[in-house]
Amino acid sequence: MKNHTILTVVSVLAVSSAAYAEPRQNTLAADVAVRHRRLLVKNRFEFAPLFESTINADFRHILGGGAKLEYHLSDMWSVGFVGVGSTAINTKLVDKITPTLEMNVDDKTREPSQAEFLDRLNTMPFHGAGYISFTPWYGKLAAFGQAYVAFDFYFQAGVSYAQLKSNCPSTICSDQFPGVSHTGMDGDTIPPDLNPNNDPPLNSGGHLGVYLGGGIHVFLNDFLALDMTVRDYAFTDNPSGADFNADLFVSNADNRFLHHLFFGVGISVMLPTTVKRTP
Amino acid sequence: MAGTAFAQSKGKRPPAKTPAKTPSKTPAPSPPPGTPAKGSGDDGGEIEMNPDDAKKPGTGSGSDVNPDEIDMGEPEKQQGDLTTDLNTADQNAGAVKATPLKKTPLSWQDIIVVIRKPFLKVRRTELLPFVGTTMNDNMIRHYTVGGELAYYLTDVLAVGVEGMAYVHAFQEPFDLVARQARRLPTVNEYNWSAALDFHYVPVYGKFAILDRHLATWEALFTAGIGAGQSEVIPRDTKFPGFTNLLIMPNVGASMRFFISKWMTINLGIRDYVFFDHFEPKNRSDTMYATASDAKDHADGSLINNVMFQIGVSFWVPTSFEYTTFR
Repeated sequence: MKNHTILTVVSVLAVSSAAYAEPRQNTLAADVAVRHRRLLVKNRFEFAPLFESTINADFRHILGGGAKLEYHLSDMWSVGFVGVGSTAINTKLVDKITPTLEMNVDDKTREPSQAEFLDRLNTMPFHGAGYISFTPWYGKLAAFGQAYVAFDFYFQAGVSYAQLKSNCPSTICSDQFPGVSHTGMDGDTIPPDLNPNNDPPLNSGGHLGVYLGGGIHVFLNDFLALDMTVRDYAFTDNPSGADFNADLFVSNADNRFLHHLFFGVGISVMLPTTVKRTP
Repeated sequence: MAGTAFAQSKGKRPPAKTPAKTPSKTPAPSPPPGTPAKGSGDDGGEIEMNPDDAKKPGTGSGSDVNPDEIDMGEPEKQQGDLTTDLNTADQNAGAVKATPLKKTPLSWQDIIVVIRKPFLKVRRTELLPFVGTTMNDNMIRHYTVGGELAYYLTDVLAVGVEGMAYVHAFQEPFDLVARQARRLPTVNEYNWSAALDFHYVPVYGKFAILDRHLATWEALFTAGIGAGQSEVIPRDTKFPGFTNLLIMPNVGASMRFFISKWMTINLGIRDYVFFDHFEPKNRSDTMYATASDAKDHADGSLINNVMFQIGVSFWVPTSFEYTTFR
């Protein structure tokens, strides 16, 4: 009798427990990954003087200084623009090719002279971009077990602009009718000279394009950060200013959509200089 | 009682008789509703507040600290000796009764929560198959398939061997130079390389992805010495090429992202430095026509072959045990 009573009680409790049991839920499942996080970028302006250089340029390295100004709408999204004034130096490839070229212009050969080769190469006195930036990753790191710093990774996309420039004097780029027949002084039709080496390079002027970037902030304190970015300014260009499509004259058809990769490093100043924290 | 006196300094554990567990003579104000108290057993990298503890104010050794008192913006400063701080607090205990409570803001940096490393490498072997590509050659781009076997002597030091096989593709300037400047570029292809490497892991960290998921990573530096083979690509295919045996020291930096206890994703940059020999200029039927003659008169140049590499590491043993308490 006693055993039956115990069994009954246990059964009732078991049923009751089952009836009222709720599936256990991890209360942290929907929680944020980090609490009391310093909001190092949210609602702050970022001003960063920076230095930028091309990566693996074909004919001319572009080196320059500039700045970026960015406003962080939230912890992940920001808008901004970057502008860089640059100078150019010849790449090793150009330095190797140039001495092997003929010293003086000789239109009887297909080979460009040194001046024809060098004067057609363009430079990029100014370039920049307007962009939207997305910061999906943030964290902190320990270096050598001593320095603990915060960092974040960001990715950017937007519109690029580049001002290109080439200085080919009329004595070198002397063909006024590249690729087309024209009428001479005596009324005769003069066919195209089929010599692209004396054609104007057509690689100057402003170019709009696509901008992509990715980088990292390494925060030195609450308002200063080391900013390293790889930027891709992609737009139509013909860096050599020479005949690309082998039609024996230089035209806009020789331009093609090219990626101009830059590495930039700067110091970001976050304004205001004080930070808030997440709950 | 000011919370500062009981903040745990870096590298020192508080004595067993922790004042925080004794009744406070002048307890700090209760946390406002909805503000969770601090638990002592939290293992988050930041200071986590267990929601369960929020319903039980006073739980945990740090429960008498009002979060509102924490000065979030105070810069980290040199920590004093904990024993000295405790003695000073005891000597001033009477004065606290007689004078208005002076609250010393608790610095955020005073509260250290140290978690165990999520991944231990010591006495484990890493098998890393990877692929790579040239980053700094605008004439010829090499793609590699390779592998590395590394043994971790400690959690930050490892020794390993690597091997790579190369294939190549010509870049746009290779054709442009020939067509526009009427010059045939002189390039070499690489066939294989192998190296003995040493790795040092000075940096580790964690990051949040989209504010939802935590991931851990580390950065490592590599230096090694090895050998490889390059082969001349003749400008004129009627002439034979020749091969060069190269001594190839290398340096690099990589990042490793931890996926599980036995798998990581590695990506990094490696600079293989070597002195290569190229086909001599002015090669003709009467000059340097044979491979040996061309090799004897080859032009030498110091090359930095910078490669980007990415791979997935597999770790053996596939698991590990901690030897220290949490």
